Amino acid sequence: MDARIRRPQRLALVAAAAAMALTACGGGLGSEADSSSGPVKIGLLVPQSGVYKSLGDDMKNGWELYLDQHDGQLGGREVDTVLADEGETADTGKSAADRLVKQEQVLAVTGVVSSATMNGVVDLFETGGVPLVGSNASPTTLTDAEYIWRTSYVNDEPGKALGAYVAENVDGPVYLLAADYQAGIDEVEGFKETFLEAGGEVADEVYTPFPTTTNFQPFLANLQKSGAEAVFTFYAGGAAVDFVKQYDAFGLAGKVDHYSAGFLTEGGVLDAQGAAAEGTFTAMNYNHDLDNETNQEFVQAYEEAYGMKPTTYAMASYDAAQVLDKAIESAGDDLTSETLNAAIGEVGEIDSPRGTWSFNDNGTPVQTWYLREVQAADGGMANVVVDELGELG
Amino acid sequence: MLDWLDANLVSMVDGVAYGLLLFTLAVGLSLVFGMMDVLNLAHGTLYLLGAYAAYALSDGSWLGLLVAVVVGLLVGVAGGGLLAALTQPLASRGHLDQALLTLGIAFIAADVLAAVFGSEVLPTAPPNGLTGSASILGHNYPVYRLAFIGIAGALAALVYLLFERSSLGALVRATVADRDMVRAGGIDTRKVMFGVFAFGAALATLGGVLGAPILAPGPGVDETVLVLSLVVVVVGGLGSVPGALLGALLIGQVQTLGVALMPAYAPFLLFGAMLVVLAWRPDGLVSLVRRA
Repeated sequence: MDARIRRPQRLALVAAAAAMALTACGGGLGSEADSSSGPVKIGLLVPQSGVYKSLGDDMKNGWELYLDQHDGQLGGREVDTVLADEGETADTGKSAADRLVKQEQVLAVTGVVSSATMNGVVDLFETGGVPLVGSNASPTTLTDAEYIWRTSYVNDEPGKALGAYVAENVDGPVYLLAADYQAGIDEVEGFKETFLEAGGEVADEVYTPFPTTTNFQPFLANLQKSGAEAVFTFYAGGAAVDFVKQYDAFGLAGKVDHYSAGFLTEGGVLDAQGAAAEGTFTAMNYNHDLDNETNQEFVQAYEEAYGMKPTTYAMASYDAAQVLDKAIESAGDDLTSETLNAAIGEVGEIDSPRGTWSFNDNGTPVQTWYLREVQAADGGMANVVVDELGELG
Repeated sequence: MLDWLDANLVSMVDGVAYGLLLFTLAVGLSLVFGMMDVLNLAHGTLYLLGAYAAYALSDGSWLGLLVAVVVGLLVGVAGGGLLAALTQPLASRGHLDQALLTLGIAFIAADVLAAVFGSEVLPTAPPNGLTGSASILGHNYPVYRLAFIGIAGALAALVYLLFERSSLGALVRATVADRDMVRAGGIDTRKVMFGVFAFGAALATLGGVLGAPILAPGPGVDETVLVLSLVVVVVGGLGSVPGALLGALLIGQVQTLGVALMPAYAPFLLFGAMLVVLAWRPDGLVSLVRRA
């Protein structure tokens, strides 16, 4: 072997293996938009590409359904929806938000799937004085924002909602396993907060590298070894599919009870998981089978329009439209981003498909949480509400 | 000791399955780089193509799997030939230009595949009869992964025999060692190189077809696979079949047994292993078994 030829090759290899990803960030200023009559411009900032695209589609559907049901109007004003692609990273999301606020001069913005984007655009909306009625991303670190509202829930609330329930209903230690990034850590911290308080016992707390982990076998082997009675997990998207399928294939399903935050089995991922997901328990603020009149009408209209059951993402986006509808109406003739934001703060109770809710001081909903179980239903798998987990917010 | 074995047996078996999967990917990358001096960063895309072929064509029947294997091999040969033809004019311009070209191809292919198959991870069901779990000394283990160990093990043995024990393999090894000398012997080395590129690519797509039920196709999988293959090649040693096999089996164990024993260090184990091997045997593990 000729070592002289090999050395530069090896260097190139090592360099290529090491340098595969890079990100950057920046800061910015916003501007204001106003009008007195005629159409109002609302920015819809959701991913139209990348790994979060299916969430973005759901949110777009929810928004459009509300507008279709209200003759394309919010608060009596014609709405001109400006769609912007959030993409996959904080950078793409931030530049799309910049365009909405600065170039399009929208009255308000809704959407935002990723917490990274949300963190990146806080300054833009806070200093620009433009209200953002977010319908998904809500990191725990986002507090004291004046212009940022969320119709979804704070990241750690699914965990908080489950903690006490699991402590009371599982007889033995519980293993905590989550993807190693902000949302996973938030979720586990939220779970521990109520779980430990209710006297629960933690077997171990392990974070799997994200997004590099596709083979969960070694983690599942350790979970099995630990003798835990149940496991609390956080996975979403592709990782949720891999995890649930492997949880079944390595023989843990049915032996160790699996509790998780709702995204584990929400929307498209459940179809991909199939029968492997059966018996999984998740906490969520919404499910399509909730028994109230608003929800029945919503589900029916949604199914007619898009041929599938609504997810919590679609529902939160639908609610964001409703919040803006009420706020634009009460802001009246003097409609600016400033007056609209004040009106959102006074919007009061929202009659939502999830049940009635209202904003708390943090700009997030005070709402009821539900325990859902994945059960076999007409040829596929479906989340079914089996219990209530109380109110949070 | 027995307790330890019992607790970690499944992890070790899974490490073999994972390692053999990595071998089918890395061997092509290693030979192409070692032989043609082409750094092919579109190698992970070949796996993804194979895995999507398996998703689209296998319907749970054995015939479906067979069709997927044939299509995968054809796509691999065609893709390998195409990549060889595209990188040929850049041969004299160094690794950076090759890397940029092949990385560009990988990005374009990734976007096209995402447009066709969507942005979700698409789990691929193994053929009937290989679904479900078997019991290894009381531990559940997916049947398909056991079957995969058998098939990929046989494949690895075949590749080894072909390259190390046949006259065709001798020709290829000679081309790796001294291209000019082989050319002086009256052999068109370009044909040999095209052949190796196509063969390596076909192995990667075959790995994709057979590996889809283990590592499902989805956006980003091509990158994951590429990084793992590059690490295997660095660890194993360039341009050598036994090197790729050693590297793949080691990285397989690092990624399963290693993670099971040291879950807190999981993010560092892969590159940690690479670092240790680089410091200890800069020419890769193959230098342990072969001295030249």
